[in-house]
Amino acid sequence: MKTIEVKNLKKFYQIYKKDAGFWGSVKSFAVRHYEEVKAVDGITFEIEEGELVGFIGPNGAGKTTTLKCLSGLLYPTDGTVQVLGYAPYERKTEFLKQISLIMGQRNQLWWDLPPMETFILNKEIYEVEDKKFRETLDELVELLDIKDILKIPVKRLSLGQRMKCELISSLLHSPRVLFLDEPTLGLDVVMQKALREFISEYNKRYHATILLTSHYMRDVEALCERVIIINHGKILFDGKLNALVKKYAPHRIVRVVLGKRVDQKEIEKLGEIKTFSYPEVILTVPHKNTGQITANILKSLPVEDLTIEEPDIEDVIRIIFQDAK
Amino acid sequence: MYKYFLVARNTWDETLAYRLNFVMWRVRTILQLLTMYFLWLAIIPQSSSFLSYSRDLMLTYILGTSLISSLVLSSRTYEVGDNINNGTLSNFLLRPINFFLYHFARDAGDKAMNIFFSLGELTILYLLLRPPIFFQTNIETLLLSLFAALLALLLYFFINLLLGFIGFWSPEVWAPRFIFITILTFFAGGLFPLDILPKPIFSIIELLPFTYLLYFPLKIYLGQLMLSEIFKGLMISGFWTVIFYFIARLVWQKGLRIYTAYGR
Repeated sequence: MKTIEVKNLKKFYQIYKKDAGFWGSVKSFAVRHYEEVKAVDGITFEIEEGELVGFIGPNGAGKTTTLKCLSGLLYPTDGTVQVLGYAPYERKTEFLKQISLIMGQRNQLWWDLPPMETFILNKEIYEVEDKKFRETLDELVELLDIKDILKIPVKRLSLGQRMKCELISSLLHSPRVLFLDEPTLGLDVVMQKALREFISEYNKRYHATILLTSHYMRDVEALCERVIIINHGKILFDGKLNALVKKYAPHRIVRVVLGKRVDQKEIEKLGEIKTFSYPEVILTVPHKNTGQITANILKSLPVEDLTIEEPDIEDVIRIIFQDAK
Repeated sequence: MYKYFLVARNTWDETLAYRLNFVMWRVRTILQLLTMYFLWLAIIPQSSSFLSYSRDLMLTYILGTSLISSLVLSSRTYEVGDNINNGTLSNFLLRPINFFLYHFARDAGDKAMNIFFSLGELTILYLLLRPPIFFQTNIETLLLSLFAALLALLLYFFINLLLGFIGFWSPEVWAPRFIFITILTFFAGGLFPLDILPKPIFSIIELLPFTYLLYFPLKIYLGQLMLSEIFKGLMISGFWTVIFYFIARLVWQKGLRIYTAYGR
């Protein structure tokens, strides 16, 4: 049995539109024009136990809607969804005890009370044993470094501190399947890195299945071997991250630092110039000719330094989305 | 079950987090109570009666509404509509927790707080004003009255949930609630005992659910109802409670199907 199985999932919303301003409000009060929005429009994929998959797409692509369908918040308009063998929207207790949906902008913490109160309540809700609860909590508190804020009312905490507490409250029951929607939102770079390491560690140690969306390609790059790319509710790509790069960006980046000035035309002969601001030249070269071209560059240019890089993942994604338009 | 106890306790703590707000709210309750009290004290001259209510029965009724409404009419369920509209409902749906019980526990916390302070305040007022109050001494009558109040509490809870569930279909959850509250204060007998109304009107009101929220338990307490009348009343209010429970459950299930969890 696959941990996650999605077949031809569709989720459509009814929304009404309103023109801006007072007159728009009056018009919309009298007559409402409803429109159907196809947030998710027939997607199919499977995820094995223990996989860590990145879910990528621009704003409004349908990522969050898919996660909400997988975690049982939404009824699918059409198609079937199975997670751990359960139909998520039935929201069976055994199912809910094994999953967690973490959203960058969620708030399950009790606003006026210290975070510890929410943790204790969640311990009871998920029926976590005392010893296990202590261990998990200590571990998470240690990792996220928030020992000193556990007794401060949530409303006094900073956004980052709150995010960390939200994260802890969502992980106290050690879920087997994790849905992470923009988990690094609102965290500083140090925390982003710590969180990435934590997710990776969590995935390995508990063999947990994780599906993650993020706008920061760094997150995806650092964590996921496999990515699913979605736009306008449809899947554009599903496969290994490096296969994606090869498929959509069959080139590499050669970065050269020149020892003295060279005419731009000289360089153009060797390969396509991406940027040129003396002393640095950046060339894009076809994947398979990289060796040949670098040899030529070294031969004919006054090279001080040369590096070969894979194309930036963000550029690759941009290419895909622009092509899709 | 311990988890629901924690919810109740957290609700209690939450209320106490805003000290000034809390004190002001209690002051408001006492002022309202005193207004009604002095109004009726002035209307009914000593040792006479008004529409078959003697002075002490009427004053007991008025002070009693304050106590019963702190038990029956205090509720946090007004949050439900907002939860649906701003997406925080997702927090409940994601966790293995019963939404109805969760909110009931929250109400329990709120009610416990209300009763605790109402009792304290009423005792102080009693000692200060020494009003002529009717004390019911028959244990059976007291128990029946308490039972009627508990039924009322359930009935009110389900009606309130339903009003909140409007949020699934419309963001405008407050307008229906205001209308409801207006109707309620009158028909539940929060302003005056309903049987001073003309008989034909009263016999219609008697069939509506509202009467059973305040008026009915108080009437039992005052010992003015015969056993047969009490059972008839319990039947009607029990009927409404069951009906509203099933409607609330049905609407909840329908609502979840179209819940969009937006905003989060």
